[in-house]
Amino acid sequence: MSAAGCWHCGETLPAVGAVLARSAGIEHAVCCQGCRAAVEWIDQLGLADYYRLRSEPATRVASGVDIDRDSTLWSRPELARHVVRELEGGQRETLLLIDGVRCAACVWLIERSLGSLAGMTSVQVNASARRARIVWDDSRCTLARIIETLARTGYQALPLDAATLDDLRRRESRAALKRLLVAGFGAMQAMMIASGLYLGAFDGTDTSMRDLLRWFSLLVATPVVLYAARPFFAGAWRSVRAGALGMDVPVALAVALIYLSSLIETVQGGREVYFDSVSMFVFILLIGRYLEMRARHRSGDLSDALARLSPPFADRMGDDGSLQRVGAIELQVGDRIHVAEGSGVPADGTLLSARCRVDESLLSGESRALTRQCGETLIAGSLLLEGPAELRVERVGGDTVLAGIGRLVTRAATQRPRLALAGERAAAHFVARVLSLAALTALGWTLFEPSRAFAATLAVLVVSCPCAFALAVPAALTRALAVLARRGVLVARADAIEQLAMASHAVFDKTGTLTEPHLALESQDPGFGTCDSRDARSRHTVAAAVANDALALAGSLARGSRHPLALAITTAAGNLATHAVEAMRAETGGGLEGIIDGRKLRLGHAGFALTAGVADTSLDDAVVLADDSGVIAAFHLTERLRPGAKAAVDALVADGLSIEICSGDAPTKVAAAAAQLGIKHWHARLRPADKLARLSALHADGARVIVVGDGINDAPILAAADVAVSFASGADLAQASSDIVLAGDRLDALGCARRIARETLRVLRQNQRWALAYNLLAVPFAALGFVPPWLAAIGMSASSLVVVLNALRIGREQPRYTAALRPAVGVGR
Amino acid sequence: MSILIIMIPLTLLLLVGAGMAFFWAVDHDQFDDLQTPALLPLLDDTRTMTPGDESGEEPKP
Repeated sequence: MSAAGCWHCGETLPAVGAVLARSAGIEHAVCCQGCRAAVEWIDQLGLADYYRLRSEPATRVASGVDIDRDSTLWSRPELARHVVRELEGGQRETLLLIDGVRCAACVWLIERSLGSLAGMTSVQVNASARRARIVWDDSRCTLARIIETLARTGYQALPLDAATLDDLRRRESRAALKRLLVAGFGAMQAMMIASGLYLGAFDGTDTSMRDLLRWFSLLVATPVVLYAARPFFAGAWRSVRAGALGMDVPVALAVALIYLSSLIETVQGGREVYFDSVSMFVFILLIGRYLEMRARHRSGDLSDALARLSPPFADRMGDDGSLQRVGAIELQVGDRIHVAEGSGVPADGTLLSARCRVDESLLSGESRALTRQCGETLIAGSLLLEGPAELRVERVGGDTVLAGIGRLVTRAATQRPRLALAGERAAAHFVARVLSLAALTALGWTLFEPSRAFAATLAVLVVSCPCAFALAVPAALTRALAVLARRGVLVARADAIEQLAMASHAVFDKTGTLTEPHLALESQDPGFGTCDSRDARSRHTVAAAVANDALALAGSLARGSRHPLALAITTAAGNLATHAVEAMRAETGGGLEGIIDGRKLRLGHAGFALTAGVADTSLDDAVVLADDSGVIAAFHLTERLRPGAKAAVDALVADGLSIEICSGDAPTKVAAAAAQLGIKHWHARLRPADKLARLSALHADGARVIVVGDGINDAPILAAADVAVSFASGADLAQASSDIVLAGDRLDALGCARRIARETLRVLRQNQRWALAYNLLAVPFAALGFVPPWLAAIGMSASSLVVVLNALRIGREQPRYTAALRPAVGVGR
Repeated sequence: MSILIIMIPLTLLLLVGAGMAFFWAVDHDQFDDLQTPALLPLLDDTRTMTPGDESGEEPKP
């Protein structure tokens, strides 16, 4: 491996004072003592193979002191009580949320390193959920040991509340899988037997054989209807009790009626049985539901996202001022807590110490330092940038602002009515029509020829619910999901496609959505007069050269830091010559300091860089490079537009959507971004609740709204949107409340998604119309008894085939669209 | 055709057997994580694959 980055985590190595770690007998450069400890620990366990096997670098490791302090805490019984479940025979079980699981090699490493502990019973790591279920013997091992081992290996583990051990998601997906299998097996068998029955209709097989085959298919279809189709019956019963005709009602009714009528026909030896149709119907519907559930589970879990946000521990202050480290769950209102610089605030509280600076990106979405004075409130989950701070706890657990945002998300998600209601109404109409048609048929035949009333009514019921109708929607949606996934658009809720196609408004968040989360160097003010005349070393007369010189100095200093501002400067410095930095020092919340060519330089905000004090207010937002005698240069950083943002906005505008920006950022910045993108309507300084209010206002005007956001502060508005879009790189909470997640960094995938969604809706309508036309044609003939079984079978297969082939057209036109977007690239794929 | 009277119950029996096996597999975590286990065998015990290196000692490159 090249010396480009840390051997363990792949991050840039510090310019000076690289640390060496020994793995498998070879010295490797690593970025910090934490990574060194991890490399050597993994080597000691004999697991150095990990470095050969992995496909992604690991995450940076905390230092040994923090690991010891935090992990021993989990041995406190008061805390363990919340997160550990006792099993029989002294066994304990817990569910850990593990950060830093990147690839399969991580799973291997976690299982091996925990397996080397005495007393481990089982370790199951789920890489996609980033969860591990661990069972151990309490007499030989402790939770603290387990967490310590994981931390040494480089993984931060957070035990989840014991209530999550039941894992609803796992139960749901297991049950769905079983139902799917029963329905699939049943459908296959029923079809096979049915083909025998159809052939028998040609050959004139004797009725005893026909009846036997019917009894067999009854045997096969019974578990399908009674077990696999149970969710439909349960759903229908729920909506009937709630006084509504939901989507499940027609399904349940159709399944029950087809099954019961076929049962009666079988017993009576009547004309026709439809066990194959009912099994197939249930199977296809279950496939749709299963795919939807899988996507929903993949998109993330709300409770996991919230658990990751708030720190698990707090330092409680005793009356004598001594600190005791406790779990954040143990905190009570009125406790005095101490928050160290750089750590998260564990509960909402009032600031008792003089002043501090915090990052409340949680609420505002903007990562910038806010100053809080004594008596003001700090909120749980925010990050203390400059401290330390002393707090009096005011709200804990479910009362915190953070938990409130979580509740906002949940509530908004349950109030997602508009199109869902329209869909339910359409379903209700469908049931009503089928039922009235069947009733009419029954009435008509009873008047003319009562003996044929039952058979004809049945034919109407069955024919009005054939495979084509059942397939029309799932086939189109499944195809659309696959096409979109290939273009980096992951759809978590299938009906989001319909809503995306019908949307009339789009609301964008600014920071991190229209702009990139990374900062870029916007401008630089070199030499503040005093600097030029004083700086004898400056041999350059051309201003640009001076600027480059300053930028190179700043870049050399910034190289050692991972702060976003430092990263932006390092990127801007790019290929400029690097200077060797001596005596490098970073001050948290201040900046960086080091000696280059014997000159002591400081890079950071003005208050830190200028020891003499700040006179110039224009330097407030700038990153300043200074030496002991004054400013050398000031760097102004700005956000860059996300790639494809303009294309996406243009495509949506061309599509007739009205677009606005709702941001928590300052008006000037929002206005600048809006001007660049040509967006007329924008709102600045909105908090999550304000954004929600803006959305309600749009809804009140009858708008259907696409919301695109990526921050935690966007989660509530995302949850309430008609269709919510976020980025895979965005906050977990935002993803968990989204319908659509964009996998890449590019925003123009959204325009493409909208296009495919409209196409899907068109195909879907065509399919439904075709199914309807087929039914309208077939129902009268079936009702009059003109349709023999073999013709019905051919008609049914052909109509299903038409529907599926039509669905396959979705996404076919896409290459032309891409070419039109970027004519320079060429035509076609 | 009377062979069907034996064949069809036989298929149904097989079906029940397969279904039971599948239910067992679902209940024993076989379908919980479909991505990771597929990769694990590739990573497992790579050391013993090297001939003459049964001790598990890491070869010195």
